Parts: sequence; C-alpha cells; structure tokens
Amino acid sequence: MKKILALILALVMVAALCACGQSAPAPAATGSAPAASSDAAPAPADAAPAEEPAAESAITTSTIGNGPVVINLYSFTDEVPKMVARYAELHPEFANKYTVKVTIQATTDGGYQIMLDQALATGGADAPDIYCAESAFVIKYTSGDASSFAGTYKDLGIDVDKMIKDAEIAPYSVEIGSRDGEVVALAYQATGGAFIYRRSIAKDVWGSDDPAVVEEKIGAGTQSWDKFWDAAEDLKAKGYAIVSGDGDIWHAIENSSSTPWVVDGKLNIDPKREEFLDMSLKLKENNYHNETQDWQDAWYGDMKGAGEKGVLGFYGPAWLINYVMAGNSGGSKPGEGTYGDWAACAPNVGFLWGGTWLVSNKAVAGTDKAAGVAEILTWITLDTSEDGLQYGWANGTWSGEQGTKDTVASNVVMKKSDGTLDFLGGQNMFDVFTKANDAANGRVLTQYDETINNWWRDQVRQYVAGNVTRDEAIANFKMQVADNLDVIVD
Amino acid sequence: MKLERRNGNPIVRTIIYIVCIFLAVLSLFPFVVMIVNSTRSTFEIQQHAVSLIPSTFLKSNWAQFTGKSFNPFKGFLNSMIISVGATACTVYFSTLTAYALVAYQWKMRQPVFVFILCVMMIPATVTTIGFYQFMYRIGMTNNFLALILPAIYAPSAVFFMRQFMLASLPLELLDSARIDGSREFYTFNRIAMPIMKPAMATQGIFSFVGTWNSLFIPSVILTDINKFTMPLMVSLLKGDIYKREFGAIYLGLALSVLPLFIVYFALSKYIVAGVALGSVKG
Amino acid sequence: MKQKGHGFSYAKYGYLFCIPFFVAYLVFNFYPTIYTILLGFTDSKGLGNINFHVYTEDIFRNFRTILHSQSFKISLRNTVVIWIMNFIPQITLALLLTAWFTSRRNKIRGQGFFKVVFYMPNIITAASVAILFNALFAFPKSPVNDLLIDLGILDKAFNFPTDPRSSRWIVAFIQFWQWYGYTMIILVSGVLGINPEVFEAAEIDGANDRQTFFRITLPNIRTILIYTLITSMIGGLNMYDIPKLYLNGGPNNATLTANVFIYNQAFAGSYMYNRAAAASMIMFLIIAVCSVVVFFIMRDRD
Repeated sequence: MKKILALILALVMVAALCACGQSAPAPAATGSAPAASSDAAPAPADAAPAEEPAAESAITTSTIGNGPVVINLYSFTDEVPKMVARYAELHPEFANKYTVKVTIQATTDGGYQIMLDQALATGGADAPDIYCAESAFVIKYTSGDASSFAGTYKDLGIDVDKMIKDAEIAPYSVEIGSRDGEVVALAYQATGGAFIYRRSIAKDVWGSDDPAVVEEKIGAGTQSWDKFWDAAEDLKAKGYAIVSGDGDIWHAIENSSSTPWVVDGKLNIDPKREEFLDMSLKLKENNYHNETQDWQDAWYGDMKGAGEKGVLGFYGPAWLINYVMAGNSGGSKPGEGTYGDWAACAPNVGFLWGGTWLVSNKAVAGTDKAAGVAEILTWITLDTSEDGLQYGWANGTWSGEQGTKDTVASNVVMKKSDGTLDFLGGQNMFDVFTKANDAANGRVLTQYDETINNWWRDQVRQYVAGNVTRDEAIANFKMQVADNLDVIVD
Repeated sequence: MKLERRNGNPIVRTIIYIVCIFLAVLSLFPFVVMIVNSTRSTFEIQQHAVSLIPSTFLKSNWAQFTGKSFNPFKGFLNSMIISVGATACTVYFSTLTAYALVAYQWKMRQPVFVFILCVMMIPATVTTIGFYQFMYRIGMTNNFLALILPAIYAPSAVFFMRQFMLASLPLELLDSARIDGSREFYTFNRIAMPIMKPAMATQGIFSFVGTWNSLFIPSVILTDINKFTMPLMVSLLKGDIYKREFGAIYLGLALSVLPLFIVYFALSKYIVAGVALGSVKG
Repeated sequence: MKQKGHGFSYAKYGYLFCIPFFVAYLVFNFYPTIYTILLGFTDSKGLGNINFHVYTEDIFRNFRTILHSQSFKISLRNTVVIWIMNFIPQITLALLLTAWFTSRRNKIRGQGFFKVVFYMPNIITAASVAILFNALFAFPKSPVNDLLIDLGILDKAFNFPTDPRSSRWIVAFIQFWQWYGYTMIILVSGVLGINPEVFEAAEIDGANDRQTFFRITLPNIRTILIYTLITSMIGGLNMYDIPKLYLNGGPNNATLTANVFIYNQAFAGSYMYNRAAAASMIMFLIIAVCSVVVFFIMRDRD
C-alpha cells in the first residue's frame, strides 16, 4: 500500500509540475486582465509563440509560420491546416509575416461546434479568423443561427464575384456559401454527384457499357425517376439489382426537391421527399435492391459484388469513388475484383453530397490580418493557376507526391486537369463531374438537415418494414420535429 | 437445505464454471475483435467489421496512426497526467469527505450528505455547457488543471466511501487511537485509510477508467493539439465520413486500452486478495 | 451543538475534512448548476445568446412545454423500461457471482481471473461498444444473423436495427453486459469489508453457504446495496451513451431515453438550452423522488 501511495503521489507531483509548467503563461495573462478576456489580447498572443517551441517535441501543425501577425484557424480535420502549411512552405514571405495558430477538434458529439461557437461568441485575440464547416452544419455558419459572425469575402478585398465567374466555381457551392447574396464561404472540393455503374452489368443487360447508353437508360438529366424504374425492371430480369439500398437514392431525392425541410420557420415536407416513402417500398417489394444500409458491411460488400445480387451502381460524388469504392472493390488494379469495371455518368437527378467550406470572421476585415486571410482563402478556394491548391487537388499532386485525384470547385481547373482513373476503366471523370457540379442544387439545405434526415429515414424504414402505416410514419416524423426543434409544425 | 461438503456439490461447481467461462468469453470478445482489427486494413474492416482472423496491415496502420499531425506518445503522456491526477484527487478527497460524514457527529452532517446525493442526480448534459463556458471565461481552457481539480468533487465516490465505512469502519478503533494521543488527521491517514483499501482500489479503478475514456469534456476544454489526450487523438482519425481509417482507429483504441489493463491488474489484487484475507485465519 | 461523549470537541473536524470537497464544488460546479437551473426559466435559445429573459408572466412555460411533449413521455417510458430490463438481470447475476466468489467453503478456482475479466466490458468506450454491436447485428449480413441462420433458428436474415423491440433489448443487453461486472466488484468489495470474525462465528454455528449468504452477508452489505441501487437508478435514468451512439434513439424512438431527449433539445439543431435545462430539472426531481423511496424502503426493513 505504501509503495502504491508513494507511486501515486510521485505521479501526481510530476503531473502537477507538467500541468503548471505548460499552463504557466495562461494564468499570468488572465491575472493581468481577469474579467474581460478580450482585453487580454497582447498577452496570450505574445506568450503563445514563446511557449510553443518548448512544447514542440514532435511533428505538429499547432502553428504554421513565424511572423508577428497571428491568424487563428479552426478546423475539424487536419486537411485544411495541411493546405495552409503547404502554402506557407511555398510562400516564405507569408510565413515571415504571419503565424497561423491551428485548432483542430473532431466533430464527435458536436464538440467542434460547441467549441467554435463559444470562441466566436467570446471574440478577442483567440477568436477564429478562418473556420471550416462541413456540409452537415455549414448552413448554420453561412445563413443560419451563427451566420452573423461570418465576414464577406468582398470585405477582405477579394474581388469575389469576378473570380467566381472566371474560375467557374460550382454554383451550388456559392449558393451554400452565401448570406443575402454576399459570399461568406467557399469550398475547394466539389461534391456534385454522378451515377457510378458497373460496366460489365450494363453490358450484360443493355449490350453496351458506354456512359451515353446508361445515361439514356436511367433518364439522365430528366429530373424524374420514371426511366429509373424501367431500368430496374430490365436489371431484375437478368438477376441484378439497380442499387444497393434505399440510402443510395436518398441523397439524390433529398437534393433534387424544390423546397427545403424548413420554410419560414415551418416544417415543410416537399412532395418529392415524401415520395421517398413510396419509392423505398417499391424498391423492396419489387426486389430491386439488396436491402443494405449505407455505411454497413453489406453496402461495402456490394462494391465488390459480394451481395446477394450484382448491383449496377451507386449515386455519389467523386470522393465516393476515391475513398470508398476503390478500396472496397476487392482489388487495386484493373482485373482484380471489380476494379476497373466501373464508369461514371450523369445521374437522372442532380445532387450534392458532402464538402467542406471555409468561412472567415467578420472581425478580420480592416485589421492587419485581412490580407493574410484573403491570401489563404483565395489560394484554396479561387486560384485556378497550376500553383493553386485546386490544380494540385484535382491532379492528386498538391502535397508533393502522387495522391488521390479529386473533383474541385472550379470547373476551369477540372477542364485543364487530367481526371482519368484506372478504377473507371480509363474514363476521365472530370467530363462527368463538371456537369454534375452544375446540376447540383445548393438552395434546399437548412441547418437542421442532418437531424431531420435521420428522423425521416428512420420513419421510412419503419414504413417499409410494415411497422407503421404511411400516415403514422408522417405523423411520427412531425412529432419528432415539433418536439425537438424550434420549428413550427402544422 | 441439505448440508454441503467443504468443496461443494460437483454439479453446482460445474454449472458455476460453465457460467463463468461463458461470461469470460463474452467479456474478452470485444478485445479480441479490437486487437484483430488493428491488424486489418480499413477496407477489410468495412467488408467484415467483426472478424477473428488477423491480417497483415499492422505495420501500415501503425504508419497511419503515427503519421498524423499529432504525436501519440504525447497523447499518452497527457492522458496519464490527467487520469492519474484526477484519480488521486477523487480517491483521497472522497475518502476524506466520507470520513467526515461517518466519523464525526456534527450538526450539518445529514444536510451535507443529502446535498451530496442531490448534486449527483442532476443530469450532466446541460451543466456541462455551463462548466465549459465558465472554464472558458476564467481562461482555464487548454489547462490540465481544469480536468484534474474538479475530480476532488466526486459525489458518487463519496457516497460509496460513506456506505462502505458505515459497514466496515469500527468507530471504537478511532476512539482508541484518540486515547493513544493520535491526531485526527494522522488517524485518518494511518488508521482509517488502510481499512478502506478495497473500497479505495475499487473507486480508483472506476475513476481512472472514467477519466481515461472521457471524451466530451476534454474535447471542449483542450483545443491545442499538443495537449490532446489519447481518445481525442483517436477521434481525430475519424475525420470526414468518407475518410475514416478504421485500421488505424482500432489500433488507437487497442493502444488506449492497454494502460487501463495495467492499472486495473495492479489495483485488482486488493479486490481479489480480500478473500484470502478473510480465510487466512480460518 | 456540543454533546457529551463521542464526538465531543471533534465536530470541527467534520467541517474541516469536508472543505476540499466543497471548495472544488464551489469553484467548478456551483456556477454551472445554478446556471442550468436559471436557464430553465428563460427564453435562452440559440448560440452565444446573451440577451435572454426570464419568462416573468409565465415562469413555468418551458416546464409545461416539456411535460406536454409526446417525445418526452415516450423517452421517460423507454428509460424506465430499459433500466428495468437491464437492472434486474444485472443485480441478480452480480449477487450470484458475489455469493460464488465470496463463499468460504466452495472455493472457485480462477476466481481472481474471473473477477478481473468480468469488469472488462466496462473499460471500453461507449463509442467502440456501439460500433461493435452495430456490426454484430447489422442487416442483411452480420455475424449474429449468420450464426442464427447456421443454427437454423432463422431462415433468413432478421433486420435487428429497424425492429423497435429487439433494438430495445439490445440496448438493455449492452447495459447489462457492461455493468454487471462493475456491480459485482462493488458488492465483492463490500463483502471484503465485513469483519471475518462474523463469518467464523457463523461457520462455528454450522451455517451452510446459503444461510451464510442470506443471513450474514446480505444484511452486512446493506449499505452497499443501497449504494448500488441508488447509483444504478441515477445512472439508469440518466442513460445516454449507448442509446445515443448505438441507434441514435431510434428506431421509431424505441431507444430514445430521457437524456437523449435532453441532448436533442440542446444540440439537435435548435440549441434550446432553456428547454434542455427545464427537462434536466424535471429529471432531477423524478430521480430525487425515486431515491427517497429507495432509501425509505431500505431503511424500513431495519
């Protein structure tokens, strides 16, 4: 017992020492200006670089550059911080002028938003100057509850309207990033969706794997599902499924509706979204799919043809190809698994899925940070040159080595980049995705989407499983929205 | 009721062993999955999330895990500092507070006990927001003390210690210590605490496990990546929905469980050995 | 205040030894608690909202909204049902294991190992457990479905995650599986605290195992049993992690617990901290009343 106690005490002392050592500057700073943290500006700003080198025993993106002007960057992955680090590497004059302090917090349990909201509301020297938001919650920061913190790109001195036009930035991205017609956020990655299908199955059923043929069969660009059902019937006759699960068509349906979930503070069930109830049932009753659920084993399994029936295709953006399907195809070069047996074509309805937007704080405009913030935002979201981020991102070369090719917000960049993928049998995916980005619709998003979609899809599953009637499903859904959100339900 | 022999009924014993082995398998199963998965690639895991057959990707998972912009060893050290500090605070001060509630007659004793029970019952979801805002305002974010010192206040541990003392702390022992001239604080440290060993070990384990695994409060308090705990670093691996590196995540999870094993096995001897303590005299 | 005999002049130590606890409480928890209580009476909604007001003309407005909410009623019922579904088997098994492992004549070989191992499900984070069970019970292809089909129990895969009843059972099972070892350890440590002489006396009197357990062990760990009951009830009524992480309260609200409901009020998209705070206070009152009942019953038998 004594030994253990002694050990614990020793550890506590070490712990206390470390904790005090590392946090020493903070209490000093608050001590000098106890009440108002916004007045304590100079102290933490000076203290931070001083303590940083000592703590920096390993690779870290805690700070980038070593200039006198501090820019705070808040993000939920290290993707954007790595881009900024790359920018500072390429532009030493930036690194000499600015220090970018990076705060990364995972989105787990909403931790990122809670922290970000508090930091925005408190303001002061530690307030975020640039912050990232992903599609699930970006609306909150661009036109929703927290939009008042966002500053326009224009106020930073960026000629944003002209640059958007010149770069041919995907319109949906601008729509999502706008507040009252002014751009406050832009994305670098494009997430417009295509229909990604198995060449061999298309050939077997329709005699051709040409995207034009498949587009014709599923009714590409018709904004309707009529031809989709005909195609499903063709596939069924040959023992195939058209999609893996009902989740696959949901993203397309959700985004192609004419109105969002909430209009003027009231719940609004768009007829197209309501129809998902019937479509999901139809898929199941006619045995058109493998009844999988997205992100579950069986769904991944269908990507290498391991399911009950062969699956023709998936609705998804380029990231689905690169980060999910390629790895799950059961191979890594043509001929292995389903690798190389895929192609992308325009979907019957346009949609988008995912993405990360960069927002800047309105407090930045007019300060000595403004130019630095503008530089970063421009380089990441608007620069179409071969030195810009998006060119490297599209060609998979941004971080120096050959990486994954991905679609980007600027169509100009995609047009001059090479999007051929072995996975797609040598198809240049940018041909399809430049069009997909134009077809996506950024006007039907709300800050409640993630939650409301969960409830809606849950009720649809209940209806399809026969646990509730159609009316009960809608009634349950309305109750969930009314009881949990500040949204009026008639 | 029939009389049992010293070694018990063989049928009963067999049933006991079968039940225990079954439960042990259930308990160990997730750890096996975790360890096996840390040797599998992300895509293998996506195809079959649960498997008992190891694969060959341990090395690449390790490269992914350590190749991020954080340093797992640092995270390990941070977690250790916070957990050891918080556990020591919880165990020592809860025992002290419970001792005050049991060993002394004082006017506010009952109200204080009722108060401790009450604060334990308030759901934590909303108070957490208040706690975070307060820490932010007084500049305690990114400070380990904001995660260690609140552990002094651990109502359920106090409650447990009190209940344990009521059952097993002989007050006569304290009286005789006083007669021998022992000071009160000394009596607590040298006479009461040793009797409380099983209880302290129990709460020590619970507290350590709880602090080590806690994610939400550290995630809002610690924003500097150099101060991240292990679970925070693992949660960063999840990143975007489309880029979850499951192999590395499982490796991270398996590694973050290791220290818990060590602490648990070190302290469990007080829980396990107690039976011998009773039977030695037998 | 100063009584004769035991405790005379020692009372001040009672206050003294409580000081660290209360200082920590005042510094770290007093403000959040008061803040929560006050929020329940205000119109504080949204983020970083500093301009909120108390509903002066209708002070209990949030409380009424919550009490009238159908979802809250459902969540309350679920919470109680899931708690009972896991607590009864949990305490039964924990008591049984305690009896086996503390029996003085019927020594179980390897009991040290078992005691250590049974607690282990408790040291994995709830998030990992949720992911594991999600994978185990997935549809249409998962280890549990495969096993049940191989054994001939099912002829085709069963959709566990969309079935309300089985989802509730799975959540209850996870809670049971994660906590029976914890409860057992508490009970065992309680038994270890009993003076061995008590058992020796019983042995000399010729008491058998069962008699010893019911007549000696149980009455002597009564205080610990109260602890187990109260904390398990508090924990059960505040159940959050697994229901939230496993199926996010679904399917069709079947695993929506009161605390998940509270979380939704605050974070599902509308940041209604006022309603979340009011719901927290209502839960606090419910838990407090239940605790008083438990204390009353457990004392009564004395």
